[in-house]
Amino acid sequence: MAYYLMLFAAGFAGSFHCIGMCGGFACALGRDPSGHGATVLRHLLYNTGRLTTYCFLGGLAGALGEVICTPQGMTVSLVGGSLDSAQRILAIVAGMLMIGMALQFFGLLQGLHRFAVGFGSSTLASSLRSLLTAHGNAAPLAFGVFNGFLPCPLVYAFVAQAASTAAALPGFLTMASFGLGTFPAMLMMGGVGRALAPAWRQRGVWLAGSCILLLGLVTLGRGILPFTAHVAHGWPGGFPA
Amino acid sequence: MSERGGVLCSHCLLPVSVRAMQRTVNGESHAFCCYGCCIAFQVKNGKSEEWEAAWLLIRLGAGAFLSMNIMLFSLLLYAGAFTGIDARLLPWIHLLLWVFATPALIILGGPFLAETWRDAADGRVTSSALIVLSVGAAYLYSAFAVLERGPHVYFDTAAMVLMLFTLGRYLEAAGRARAARNLEPLLAAESECATVVDGSVQTRRPVREVSVGTLVRVRPAERIPLDGTVMEGESHADEAVITGESRLVPKGVGSPVIAGSINIDGPLLIRSTCAGTDTRWAQICRSVRDALTRRSPTQRLADRIVGIFVPLVLSLGALTALYWVQWLPFDRALLIGLAVLVVACPCAVGLAAPLATSLGIGRLARRGCLVREPGALEQLARTRLLAFDKTGTLTSGSARVVRIETDDVAADEVLARAAGLERHSEHGVGRAVTAAAAARGLNPVVAADVRILPGRGIRGNADGQAVVAGNRALMSEMGWSVAPALGERGRSLEADGYSVIYVGWGEQVRAALALDDATLPEARSTVEALQSPGLHVMLLSGDLAPATQRVALAAGIEDARSGLSPEAKRAALRRLRQKYCVVAMVGDGLNDGPVLAEADVGIAVSSATDLAREMAAVVLPRGGLWMLPWVIDVARAVRMTILTNLLWAFGYNLIALAFAALGLLQPVLAALVMAGSSVLVVLNSLRLERLPDPVCMALSGWHPTAAAQSGPEPFSVRTEPMIKQG
Repeated sequence: MAYYLMLFAAGFAGSFHCIGMCGGFACALGRDPSGHGATVLRHLLYNTGRLTTYCFLGGLAGALGEVICTPQGMTVSLVGGSLDSAQRILAIVAGMLMIGMALQFFGLLQGLHRFAVGFGSSTLASSLRSLLTAHGNAAPLAFGVFNGFLPCPLVYAFVAQAASTAAALPGFLTMASFGLGTFPAMLMMGGVGRALAPAWRQRGVWLAGSCILLLGLVTLGRGILPFTAHVAHGWPGGFPA
Repeated sequence: MSERGGVLCSHCLLPVSVRAMQRTVNGESHAFCCYGCCIAFQVKNGKSEEWEAAWLLIRLGAGAFLSMNIMLFSLLLYAGAFTGIDARLLPWIHLLLWVFATPALIILGGPFLAETWRDAADGRVTSSALIVLSVGAAYLYSAFAVLERGPHVYFDTAAMVLMLFTLGRYLEAAGRARAARNLEPLLAAESECATVVDGSVQTRRPVREVSVGTLVRVRPAERIPLDGTVMEGESHADEAVITGESRLVPKGVGSPVIAGSINIDGPLLIRSTCAGTDTRWAQICRSVRDALTRRSPTQRLADRIVGIFVPLVLSLGALTALYWVQWLPFDRALLIGLAVLVVACPCAVGLAAPLATSLGIGRLARRGCLVREPGALEQLARTRLLAFDKTGTLTSGSARVVRIETDDVAADEVLARAAGLERHSEHGVGRAVTAAAAARGLNPVVAADVRILPGRGIRGNADGQAVVAGNRALMSEMGWSVAPALGERGRSLEADGYSVIYVGWGEQVRAALALDDATLPEARSTVEALQSPGLHVMLLSGDLAPATQRVALAAGIEDARSGLSPEAKRAALRRLRQKYCVVAMVGDGLNDGPVLAEADVGIAVSSATDLAREMAAVVLPRGGLWMLPWVIDVARAVRMTILTNLLWAFGYNLIALAFAALGLLQPVLAALVMAGSSVLVVLNSLRLERLPDPVCMALSGWHPTAAAQSGPEPFSVRTEPMIKQG
């Protein structure tokens, strides 16, 4: 449980990064003229759409991790051996990815940033703008669904984390925790409709970077360190995989 | 749109079938060749004020939302999240999935069902039928399973197959639109508007309604809509699409401008010199549209294969399911059968040839090379023999001074005096001499009392002396003396097939000018670039042997045949075809029409002004001989791409089919594989965009249309860089 709480916290911290792009969308989604309740519903639907995409990606990544890990079937009997070698490799790859994303948050690795965000995201985003102003409840939902697929290093990092759990359910829960973590900030953005001061945003981005860096190191550690030293071991509720 | 019946997809410019998808976007009616183009077009061009554009995306988003929920719950089901104490929840979960799946299926599957219906009305069974059938079967089975409280449902299969195919269609269409980028400026002629100036009033009128003599204003960065003359303003124009000229052409008052070129940096006021529908641009537009809507032989073959492929796959799917049902539970066997249906969707096959061809046509069109038959590119790539015509193809088609033999005077003086006379002449010889003098920067010696002696030459007075330029007969008539050496050299030039002009003053013949229809400067490098073990280059000429030999030598062609009438040329091509299978003929398009039509691929280099009467399948811009090797390279690349596309599409299909029939491929994975296959075909075709541009070799400082900017009739005047002095 603590693991998911930590992911929730990371998502919350990370959402200061989201304010950059997704926050703009949330603002653009704006208020519904027919009242406060309708506005809240609009933003809830948008965030539900986003969350669904994240959960889907998480479940898929987890299942993919499972597919990668199970067919080998050769459980390397380490001390206490519950992680086979494939899962270790997956953890190492995911950990490295997360560390890379975190470093990028600190302004290092600019090339990676271009790689992560450069995939025609701007054209996709601009073409989706037609959904923002459309009427009806389905439009914000649809926009949220597409929004979830927009390239974002934060999402990549957590999808990598989900893949390293090597099962559909924990993968789903990983992304669900993260997605719920981003809820407060995004709802606030929609409701309040004003951006945070840039200095605060920068601090938020650093906070997000630190969280991801920590998670990445933990994940990397799961892959490299012998089981006895495993961090997850110490968590109450254990590691779900 | 076109009166000849061909309708092109608004998004990707590929031809649409008889029953197109019609949609209204931004208040205009559009036709689309497929569902993917319909989505991609609205994503790209839909305005936010338009409910219609957003509506499609909303539906897709809602469909994705439902499908993802279905997939999530199904993943959890597969992962065993609802076993043990939660098992009694199972029927409810199934029911929930059903509730999600029904609207998802209607939203996402509707367009595929409509497509199947349209095709069925035409009596065709296409790949969408396979999708509809497999998704429908999975859904219906699952619905029964829910009612019967069966252990497994496959709503996820139904929803994900639809989702993946929709995504695949979208990506494919987005890639195809990229492929059409080069064609857009050519097809714009039909929809372009011109800003007509009438007194102080400016109105926007469709180009096709604009007549001769109309004043038209063209702003910077706009396309010049009509052929005309600049009345006001200065600017540069990019004429690459029409002439192949890659540099910007300066325009000032009095310069001619060409419809279809882009006005770069200054506002222009032009007076049209021909009606909007008669410009070369409008003709090119009609011709390209025709070429795009016609199907190449390869494509017809592929279509026929798809036609028998689909029923075959249907029966194969049924057989597979029947076979597996003996060994496995019914639902597993059904799934294997469905995987066969899904994986065998021949979407990529239908795309293989038209996409590569339209990319190739667009790539060539950007440099003014026009392809009028979709099959011509493939034929050209297979060509083993390339026959050139001589006059106007390898040669400039107009006389020029190639040799000056003098008797103790400077060649410059001879030219200056001759030019002083000949500038009064309208004869081709006269133009050649004045051009030669101008090319050397000589001032013609002013002559008075100039008289033209028809059939013999021209005479006048300069510096108090009689000056004469004309043939041998005129010189004997004048009774002027000729140095024996000069007379001998003149006679030998005449024997070699040159026309010789003698120039004399002060009662003495001073020089002999040899005129020839000279070989184009780029002929040699072009022929060198073309010659390869797989391609034989030859010359078929109607001219005399010495003249033909001279051009063959200058161009570096070993195999030259002379004295052929047009009929003999056609017969020769027919004979040569037996040896070389596919033969191409390069001619000037004006006189060689029937010969070009006889060849498998006719290539015109300086084409007829009226494209509609053009017989050649490939038309190079005037002075575009140097581009021929590049055109053949593009044609080869196109053919290679078509072959790899087909190989990939069929090979991939067959291998995946085998896997699916053996039960090794889940339907969802099969859908992923199939959607990926057509995207890969698009990506493979898009590699054609990266072909290098043509390079003008061998002649530094020379450029195909460098001389064309000044004359009233562009692209026929040439500088004289190759005069030899004897």
